[in-house]
Amino acid sequence: MAKSDSSKKSVKKEKEPLENQPEPDLSSDSDLDEDSIWSDAVGSSDIDGDSSGTSEDDVGGNGEMDSPDDGRDFSEDEGSLEHTREDRKDGNDTLQLVEESDSSEDEVAPRNTIGEVPLEWYKEEEHIGYNISGKKIKKHARKDKIDSFLAGVDDSKNWRKIYDEYNDEEVELTKKETKLIRRLLKGKTPHAGVDPYAPYVDWFEWEDKGHPLSNAPEPKRRFVPSKWEQKTVARLVRAIRKGWIKFNKPKEEPQFYLLWGDDSNAAENKRQGLSYIPAPKPKLPGHEESYNPSVEYIPTQEEINSYQLMYEEDRPKFIPRRFESLRSIPAYEKAVKEEFDRCLDLYLCPRARKKRINIDPESLKPKLPSKKDLKPYPSTCYLEYRGHSGPIKSISVEISGQWMASGSTDGTVRVWEVETGRCLRVWNVGEAVEHVAWNPLPELPILAVSAGYDVILLNTGLGDAEDNMRIKELLRVEESPLTNDDGNKTSAVSWLQHTKLDGIRLQHFKAVSTIEWHRKGDYFTTVVPMRPIFFVATKKNIRVYDLLKAKLIKKLETKLREISSIAIHPGGDNVIVGSKEGKMCWFDMDLSSQPYKTLKTHPKDITNVAFHRSYPLFASCSDDCTAYVFHGMVYSDLNQDPLIVPLEILRGHTSSYGRGVLDCKFHPRQPWLFTAGADSVIKLYCH
Amino acid sequence: MPKHYRPAGKKKEGNAAKYITRTKAVHYLQVSLATFRRLCILKGIFPREPKKKVEGTHKTYYHMKDILFLAHDPLVEKFRDIRAHKRKVKKALAKKNRDRADQLLSRQPKYTLNRLIKERYPTFVDALRDLDDCLTMVHLFAALPAVVGERIQVDRIHNCLRLSHEWQAYISRTHRLRKTFISVKGIYYQAEVEGQKITWLTPHALQQVLTDDVDFNVMLTFLEFYEALLGFVNFKLYHSINLKYPPILDPRLEAAAAALYALYRYIGSGSGTSFGTRAITSGKEEDEGGKDDKRTNESELRLAQLQHQLPANEPGTLMHLMEDATTVADEDEETKSCKNLFKNLNFFLSREVPRESLLFVIPAFGGVVSWEGDGSPLKETDKSITHQIVDRPSQGHLFLSREYVQPQWVYDCVNARILLPTEAYMVGRVPPPHLSPFVDNEAEGYVPEYAETIKRLQDSAKSQVLPMPGLDEGLDDPLNLLAEGVIDRAEANEAAEKKRKLMMLEKQHHEELKMELQGITYSASLSNNNLPEPVEKDEVMEDAKEELERAAEDARSMSMVQMSRKNRKLYEAMQIGIERKKETNKRLANKRKSAQKASKKE
Repeated sequence: MAKSDSSKKSVKKEKEPLENQPEPDLSSDSDLDEDSIWSDAVGSSDIDGDSSGTSEDDVGGNGEMDSPDDGRDFSEDEGSLEHTREDRKDGNDTLQLVEESDSSEDEVAPRNTIGEVPLEWYKEEEHIGYNISGKKIKKHARKDKIDSFLAGVDDSKNWRKIYDEYNDEEVELTKKETKLIRRLLKGKTPHAGVDPYAPYVDWFEWEDKGHPLSNAPEPKRRFVPSKWEQKTVARLVRAIRKGWIKFNKPKEEPQFYLLWGDDSNAAENKRQGLSYIPAPKPKLPGHEESYNPSVEYIPTQEEINSYQLMYEEDRPKFIPRRFESLRSIPAYEKAVKEEFDRCLDLYLCPRARKKRINIDPESLKPKLPSKKDLKPYPSTCYLEYRGHSGPIKSISVEISGQWMASGSTDGTVRVWEVETGRCLRVWNVGEAVEHVAWNPLPELPILAVSAGYDVILLNTGLGDAEDNMRIKELLRVEESPLTNDDGNKTSAVSWLQHTKLDGIRLQHFKAVSTIEWHRKGDYFTTVVPMRPIFFVATKKNIRVYDLLKAKLIKKLETKLREISSIAIHPGGDNVIVGSKEGKMCWFDMDLSSQPYKTLKTHPKDITNVAFHRSYPLFASCSDDCTAYVFHGMVYSDLNQDPLIVPLEILRGHTSSYGRGVLDCKFHPRQPWLFTAGADSVIKLYCH
Repeated sequence: MPKHYRPAGKKKEGNAAKYITRTKAVHYLQVSLATFRRLCILKGIFPREPKKKVEGTHKTYYHMKDILFLAHDPLVEKFRDIRAHKRKVKKALAKKNRDRADQLLSRQPKYTLNRLIKERYPTFVDALRDLDDCLTMVHLFAALPAVVGERIQVDRIHNCLRLSHEWQAYISRTHRLRKTFISVKGIYYQAEVEGQKITWLTPHALQQVLTDDVDFNVMLTFLEFYEALLGFVNFKLYHSINLKYPPILDPRLEAAAAALYALYRYIGSGSGTSFGTRAITSGKEEDEGGKDDKRTNESELRLAQLQHQLPANEPGTLMHLMEDATTVADEDEETKSCKNLFKNLNFFLSREVPRESLLFVIPAFGGVVSWEGDGSPLKETDKSITHQIVDRPSQGHLFLSREYVQPQWVYDCVNARILLPTEAYMVGRVPPPHLSPFVDNEAEGYVPEYAETIKRLQDSAKSQVLPMPGLDEGLDDPLNLLAEGVIDRAEANEAAEKKRKLMMLEKQHHEELKMELQGITYSASLSNNNLPEPVEKDEVMEDAKEELERAAEDARSMSMVQMSRKNRKLYEAMQIGIERKKETNKRLANKRKSAQKASKKE
């Protein structure tokens, strides 16, 4: 459309009536209509003259290569073209006429006589249709390739020639026609002058026509303020007033500010509410959690396998691994999970303030006074008394401290000289000796021995001759029950003279204080020499009786499982009790009926406990072959508690048949301890 | 009659009145369980252990006062408002009332946590004391994947990242970092702020896996509080060094994922405290380079004036001039030692090295860091670089002027507070074991081998007076130091041997005296003891040992006798732990021995 405006206008003016009408015909199938268009086109082209001939030459070569259908279209047009050429002399007027006629059949007679049958039917034939006289119309001979090439070479306009198969003739297209074809191929309107988008002209004028479309009167609502608008406005006003709608965006306040300005005001900075218990901090990692721990922290494969056998809660949570370099550490897959667990601990775990003792365990041990200050006490084994052939059940030291008697299960009673270890006398009782006891009166060195069902009183013959005589007399007199002071007149007691051993067999012994060992029951009885108080040890408790008033004074609750031995402080206010579970209780009778102190000393049964008469010492011996020596100071001031200090563990005995040390006794005057063992040895420990 | 019968009209007493189970507390507050959880987390209320669990042993008990404390909090009402608001929005949307929904959404009820923080931590020190969990959590979330559509909102992750960087920048710039430890779980740091030791864990910079067995609602509630807390703490800390908070960062550096470095520069430019980056080379700097030496008061004054004229965020020009002149008065001894550890050292990080961590640690100890990438203060080819940190099997091009070390060297140096010899940490070698600085080896009873080596190096470094060049010399030949250590050891051994001999002599003397007492003649004793003398000596030793042990045992059991039952049990219980510790130590020592043997054989 590169034409100048003036030429375009002139063309338009001429063609306007022509083009407006035939345009719709372009789409119609009928040949005749198309003919008329083509004729029109040719006409106009003539008027315009050949303006651009050379530019289209090269494009025209395509014409021959078009498909047969296209060729056919062109050939159809050919007829009309020829016809128009005939009418050319008539000029524009004749063209107008042609255009106006409805059918072009009048002018253009079809030279094809086959009618509207497919050309294929004549494909094989030599002829195409018949002429008016009934003769076959012969087909023209087709040009072969060489001919057409030669024709192309000879005639420069040969490319415009198209063979019309339908009419069996060759048609030459004009330049104008090729131009049209080219435009059509491009999908444009055939004529360059046509404006497809011409402004729309509205032909219908309804203003001032006097007849409106609707004659209804204006409604009232056109003049009344809108209710809904009012409602909307009211709503908005309300929203604005209430602050729901804000026009200026509120200024963003800084999110963070100086929260802790001045920490000096202590009263203001007190935490509200209950006391805060801070959560314990997570455990800090040790060497084993390192990405590159020392070799010793990495478990071997065996150890890792052994973890599988453990209970799940015992299994180590973290197995150390070693990575060669920092870059090779993978992401820790439990990171989120562990953090989550920590969160749960923080808000779900009950917290309580626990007093955690973070002390040196050694500081738990009580401060003991120096042992040196508490000397003397027995510490080293000084002498051994050998001679018995069985476990020595009991020993007893004479009140003067010169002699010591021992009774053994081999059925003998021996009297030893303490200082030398010499065995002075031996009596063969015949039965296992359970207990021996010296008469506490120094002038009457009589020995009481219990063996089997008997208690035998023996004359040791240790005193001087006068004493001996007296004792002999005494022992002989014993035969008559009248001399018995105690008033034990039961006939069940049999008093017999033991001829072989030069003593008496009896159940009772007449003395100021006696130690008597009851055979049948599980009772030990002790009569305190200073005060008439009587102690009875039952299995768990100790009953204290006043002999004068003949009533129970106190019941000492030991809280032990089974009492094995008892000893009374010479002062009479303190009692120690040994038990079969290896515990020793110290009772202060003035204090309470509960033990003042319970000492867990021995791992095995305590066999005996003993107080020293004059020194503040006491001892316990046990089946674990040891004897403990304690310092047990009782103060005369009642406000001061007794001081108990363990001093020494005495070893040396050996165990036999599961029994260790069976008896222990202090020397009456020296701080010495005798221990009698199940290994048939008596030991003397001196300071 | 039921077990706990309470007559009508009589109030509850004791534990029954003091404690309330969780279900009852929820009913009492008239909130949902989820809200109750949120309230507890935000208010920091935790269950307590009553002396007597009246309602049963398997229940959680809250103190009634705690619950009343909750009930009076405005937050409860706020949560109710939020709930109601959500319903309104939902209703509006269901009615297709888009306007109202928008209007509602534009004025959502909001709440702030500053009041709660002040309430829970009335003083700043209180907040610092409880900061461990907060930091660990914020650092963890900073490392989580910031993916849209995951359970965690992206902006929260970014916020965590920002907060953690701000914290690290403060710690690093004020040289408060004390200990570091690379574990399998991540990197532990310990800093000391206002006398409080704060330990936190940062995960390794790798993609973290979000597991399904985690309730993120709980974690996010915690995070909400922690974010606010850390924000206020950071504000206070920045305020204390005269900096504006929140800091304004250089967007270029931030984009280059060097936000921490950007923060350093911000701090450096804003405060005028020591600032290690001297290298942001500019024309001005070179001009004033000549004055560097003088550092007189006058020039300082002028510089300060100049500084004033510069915009606040100007990259750290002039700063290095102030570096040594301005010293903070209240720096303690340890901070100073930390500050000077990497002084005058320039580090260069290779690509494969964890940059975030080293960018935090090295400046905290006075070093200058540069890295491969944009915004780095020094290029790789710079002559002033003294150490290059490399974590690859082999290094291609080597500059002779610098040392190539593995990253572990930095962390070990920091923990030991001396510059360790770099031989063991060279590229391609397996570095020596990395030990935890949080373990007290003496108390534990087992000292790993490398800890002993470090101890020796420290001792020798201490014995030298510490001018910087001297330190360098001392560390150049670690063999010397090692030899020294060995000598010390040998001396100790010798002394022990002498003591033993003396004891034996004494023993012998005693024996002889005894024999004399018993009346055995010297010749006889000689004839008796002539042959089996060496054996005798050994026996004497053994006997003595046994006796000593016996005596010790006796003393122990004797004092045990005197202990009260409670103390005795406690003592025994303590002994179990001690024994177990001994056992593990023994096992470790044995393992070490066997490993050494194996390595010797090879």
